[in-house]
Amino acid sequence: MIDSSGTAAVRTDDLWKVYPQEPAPVQAVRGLTLEIEHGDFVAMAGPSGSGKTTVLNLIGGLTRPTRGRVWIGGQELGSLDDKKLARLRLERIGFVFQAYNLLPVLSAFENAEFTLLLRGVPHEERRARVEALFKEIGLEGLEDRRPSKLSGGQQQRVAVARAVVGEPALVLADEPTANLDSTTSAALLEVMERLNHEHRTTFVFSTHDPRVMERAHRLIRLVDGRIDEDRRVEPAVPAR
Amino acid sequence: MAEDHLWWRVAWRNLGRNRGRTLITTSALAFGYLSAVVMVGLTDGMSAELVENGTRLLIGQAQVHASDYLPERSMYRTIGGQNGVDVADLLERLEAHPDVRAAAPRLYGGGLVSGGEHTEAALLLGIAPGRERHVTTLLGHVTEGRAPASGSREVMIGVEMARQLGVGVGDELVLVAPAADGSMGNDLFALVGIFDTGTPGIDASYAVLALDELQRLMAMDPGRIHEVALTVSRPVDTPAIAEALGAYLGSDPPTEVRPWTALRPELAESVALMDSMNFIIVLIIFAMAVFGVANTMIIGTFERTREFAVVRALGSSTGNVARTVVYEGIVLGALALVAGVAMTWPILVWWHRAPPDLSALVGGFSWSGAQWRPVLRVEYSLEGPVLSALALFLTAVLAALYPAWKAARIPPADALAGR
Ligand SMILES: Nc1ncnc2c1ncn2[C@@H]1O[C@H](COP(=O)(O)OP(=O)(O)O)[C@@H](O)[C@H]1O
Ligand SMILES: [Mg+2]
Repeated sequence: MIDSSGTAAVRTDDLWKVYPQEPAPVQAVRGLTLEIEHGDFVAMAGPSGSGKTTVLNLIGGLTRPTRGRVWIGGQELGSLDDKKLARLRLERIGFVFQAYNLLPVLSAFENAEFTLLLRGVPHEERRARVEALFKEIGLEGLEDRRPSKLSGGQQQRVAVARAVVGEPALVLADEPTANLDSTTSAALLEVMERLNHEHRTTFVFSTHDPRVMERAHRLIRLVDGRIDEDRRVEPAVPAR
Repeated sequence: MAEDHLWWRVAWRNLGRNRGRTLITTSALAFGYLSAVVMVGLTDGMSAELVENGTRLLIGQAQVHASDYLPERSMYRTIGGQNGVDVADLLERLEAHPDVRAAAPRLYGGGLVSGGEHTEAALLLGIAPGRERHVTTLLGHVTEGRAPASGSREVMIGVEMARQLGVGVGDELVLVAPAADGSMGNDLFALVGIFDTGTPGIDASYAVLALDELQRLMAMDPGRIHEVALTVSRPVDTPAIAEALGAYLGSDPPTEVRPWTALRPELAESVALMDSMNFIIVLIIFAMAVFGVANTMIIGTFERTREFAVVRALGSSTGNVARTVVYEGIVLGALALVAGVAMTWPILVWWHRAPPDLSALVGGFSWSGAQWRPVLRVEYSLEGPVLSALALFLTAVLAALYPAWKAARIPPADALAGR
């Protein structure tokens, strides 16, 4: 599943996204070319409106590019129909959203096992995996709570659990800490880092919080839909 | 399947999210069911009343004749021809059939009735009083005196004819009728009864006497009758029963069994009209329900736009998104069905057992040659409720289709951004 033949986890080639808008079309992403390696921990930084969400949506196959191409582990997305794209998301990509976006009618446990259910993973295995993960990221004992009975930080950890439980090659997180206070943000980052470290899951997350950027191993700074800066970062706090 | 189970669970819990709305939608559907079933029951009751009223006074629900008797009604065309039949045997055979409740033999003749100064043309009807009571209500309308007995020269006439002749019970009447041997039969009869059916045509023209007396007057053997009138087990199904009876009787002697639908075609048309009215009413009720349910479901899915987008982003197919909305419709339909049946059956059974009698308000009336009871009667078969149940369920599912389609078409990226 995970491509180790030297293919990048993510590759984009001259990616453009133009939204037809009045009075003038919005060029949200302008000629983005980049490569992200397997197991990397990448922050996409930039002010509001710089195109972070659009880039993540393009990489995740939630939006089709106006021009250019995206590869996920060697698979070019433009050649897939919506159904195959959904399948690819299910099997290879995990999503974390700014607003947590857990399903309110499902318990924490049910939210976390959601993608496993869609994939038809048997009950025993689902339980084992979610339980192990909940223990790993400090959600033990909260399994039966509905999202409305969880704090923001807890909800976002359930969302991270939902994203990584299927061991996807890539996790895309759009401003995962934007709704959290700094302590909770740091804790969430720690969880993500640990999962990145222990499962070699590739993380790409957007943020405009400098303290979050510092935790990345690679920092890509966007301005007006273009890469303004792209550098490796020495982690300020080493991953445990 | 685990995945299917997940979508049922999501559908079920989503209905529980806004209990008030679910309750209202369910009740609306259940009331739709109630009104559809009661409407159908009421029109079925009216149909049954129509059939019974239109047949029970005189014609019965089916009639057996010699196959060449109708439409001329020649007096020579008795069942079994000139030789007649073994009437007792024929009646016994008919009553042995499971769908026949009762059978009554009859003979008809045209003649004159004189009393005192006056003479009136009359339709002479010979009956077996003991049997006639089980087939028609004619003898129940005797308002003065009693029914004529067999073996004695007795006659009964309608209240209108009595008025025109200026006679009363106890007077003597002369009956004159062409006989089968070509002579003119005439004899003196005692007027023993006067009937008042409320239907002027009948009250002015029928003279009723015992079958054997009319046979004697018309110089006919005891085996000669024109007609056997029948009541059947299910009046609404008379056409099919009549056909089965025709085959059952065979062709010796050649007979024809006519259902009331053929004898009173205008009555059959009224019933057909009511059936189609029924259908239209049910259609309207459920069409209204479709839009009502679709409306609440559209609101419900609209509120969850972002959730559908999340589910799509996580890798669900559009089909799964549509599925859970349709499941919601199915669960809603099932809930409504349970509620609808639970509140409909008691009402239906109660109404059927004790139909509100409006006599005090409107009184009976005569229409289309029959007396009408002003009763709001409800009839039910399995068909109405079962078809309505099916319609209710389809309504809920149908109403979910459009919202399901809408939900499946939500673009995930825009919905996530709240655009
Ligand atoms: N669906 C859309 N329709 C029109 N304009 C859009 C749409 N999505 C994003 N944009 C515009 O594209 C630009 C980049 O937006 P976005 O990717 O959300 O940036 P960021 O996530 O960095 O805030 C903004 O100017 C935004 O208004
Ligand atoms: Mg954004």
